[in-house]
Amino acid sequence: MISGTHISKQYLGITVLNDVSIDCQSGEICGLLGANGAGKSTLFKILLGLVTPDSGEITIEATSVKRIGGIIEKPALYEYLSAIENLRIFAGMQGLPTTRIALEEHLIRVGLPIHRKDPVANFSMGMKQRLGIAIALLNNPSCLILDEPFTGLDPMGVVSLRSLIKKLTAEFQLAVLLSSHLLEDLNQLCNRLYVLHRGRLIRQGNTQAIMNACTHQYLLTANNLSLSTSLHHWQHQLKGDTAEISIQPGQVSDLLAALTNEKIEITSCIPQPDLLLLFEGESV
Amino acid sequence: MKRLLIAECFKLFRQSKTYYAIASILIIEGIILISAYFEGTNIINLLLDNLRKTFYFNGSLLNGNLLQYLVLNTLWFHLPLIIMIVVSGMLTAEYKDKTVQTVLLQPVRKWQWILSKYIVAIGFTVVMVGLLFLTSYWLCRGFFGEGDLVVYLDGLSFFPAAEAATRIQWSFLAGTISMVFFAVSSLTLAVILKDVTKTWIVSALFLIICNVLLKIDLGTAWLNQYALVKLNDTWQYFFQYEIPFRIILLNWIVSVFYISIIAAVGIFIFHKRDIG
Repeated sequence: MISGTHISKQYLGITVLNDVSIDCQSGEICGLLGANGAGKSTLFKILLGLVTPDSGEITIEATSVKRIGGIIEKPALYEYLSAIENLRIFAGMQGLPTTRIALEEHLIRVGLPIHRKDPVANFSMGMKQRLGIAIALLNNPSCLILDEPFTGLDPMGVVSLRSLIKKLTAEFQLAVLLSSHLLEDLNQLCNRLYVLHRGRLIRQGNTQAIMNACTHQYLLTANNLSLSTSLHHWQHQLKGDTAEISIQPGQVSDLLAALTNEKIEITSCIPQPDLLLLFEGESV
Repeated sequence: MKRLLIAECFKLFRQSKTYYAIASILIIEGIILISAYFEGTNIINLLLDNLRKTFYFNGSLLNGNLLQYLVLNTLWFHLPLIIMIVVSGMLTAEYKDKTVQTVLLQPVRKWQWILSKYIVAIGFTVVMVGLLFLTSYWLCRGFFGEGDLVVYLDGLSFFPAAEAATRIQWSFLAGTISMVFFAVSSLTLAVILKDVTKTWIVSALFLIICNVLLKIDLGTAWLNQYALVKLNDTWQYFFQYEIPFRIILLNWIVSVFYISIIAAVGIFIFHKRDIG
């Protein structure tokens, strides 16, 4: 478990974090959402012990000598070394076994090939993220912090990394805190969500509840949607077989039921969160 | 600590820039020897033509001892410059690639990690000066043979071949301390500046200022003897007729004191500073 309470930080008189409290339990994935400059990376650096806060307290419940692992912004690796050599450096400096077999286990844990001997400079971003996670998990920390882990990944890489994070969290009962600009990833991965705006927490709670509170529009795609009469009960904009509908989350099931009754074949219904409301607490 | 030292050595000798540095020093050394071979004889003959009529010199004056002395002289600017680039890069590259964050996210003490860098930097410097000594010793004697050494320090001095070789060995040892001083200074500059290019520029400036101030009268005898920049020519004392061992020993003690202070400042700043 990790918790940070009443954390504040100023840089050159500018408040970067203002009385932020955050926690994440074992086996839980919590998301941190915020626009650029909201203070996410600073908060993570403080939780990781890289930056000293002006005030506040950090508590990490852990039995291992390494209490927390993490990646800030992008996986920082020795690019001129191979994956095994990177692991050897980081494992060696903390007294962990550096035998080939022991190091290969770390690679297998994160789904990396064990036979590549070329420098990690040749690796894709997805592979670097995996190696970064393997290094972060050396010495079995109880918490893991991942800052923008999906940045620079292709869609396949995103899906693959998402399932790795889920698997590792369940397997090692990790408390995982991660930030992302991709709402879909946070929605799928995170049990709880924190939203940071200009150094202040403006929302926190169940991910779905927060998403619902900020979603008043849905993008609905269906065959023969223009023939529907029930659609007219809600404000909407129709473009071919797709309609942008203004509707409260609680009424979506009514709309879908009505369309089904009209024999309209629905192919997708995607929530369109109000980003300004979600990120800044103000509605458009 | 031992584990950190092993990791630092492993990284240093897995980077191509380390081998570029070694190659650069060997190339400079080769150029000095080649130019000495083609031009040196004429210059030496011109300079010492009159003296030859009065004194008897054992062997050719353009010999291994003189060449090694020339290598020694020319590399006191090139060698520290190359060492400073490699040593400061040991830290600035970690800042640039942000691997400093990855390292400090492991259960590693900040002061121990940076101390391991200082120790490896000193070790690397000793190896580089040692390499320079050995290569210049073999090359110079291999190509130019043994002979008496003539040097000009406030006047011409002559040393028999065997004595000259000993004096050159001692001066390399004294030079090692100066090189360590520059290596440690560049690492402390890297701690302060973090940025690769800024550190290179300031390190080069530092080296130039040190060399300029070395030749300037600082006003008082005490400053001229013990100021930081004045200790870097201690190796020259080994080419005075009577070697002033007491002054040399004192200079070495003061140099080690300065080196320790500069390293301690770097370790303190690194330990106190956030890794943002």
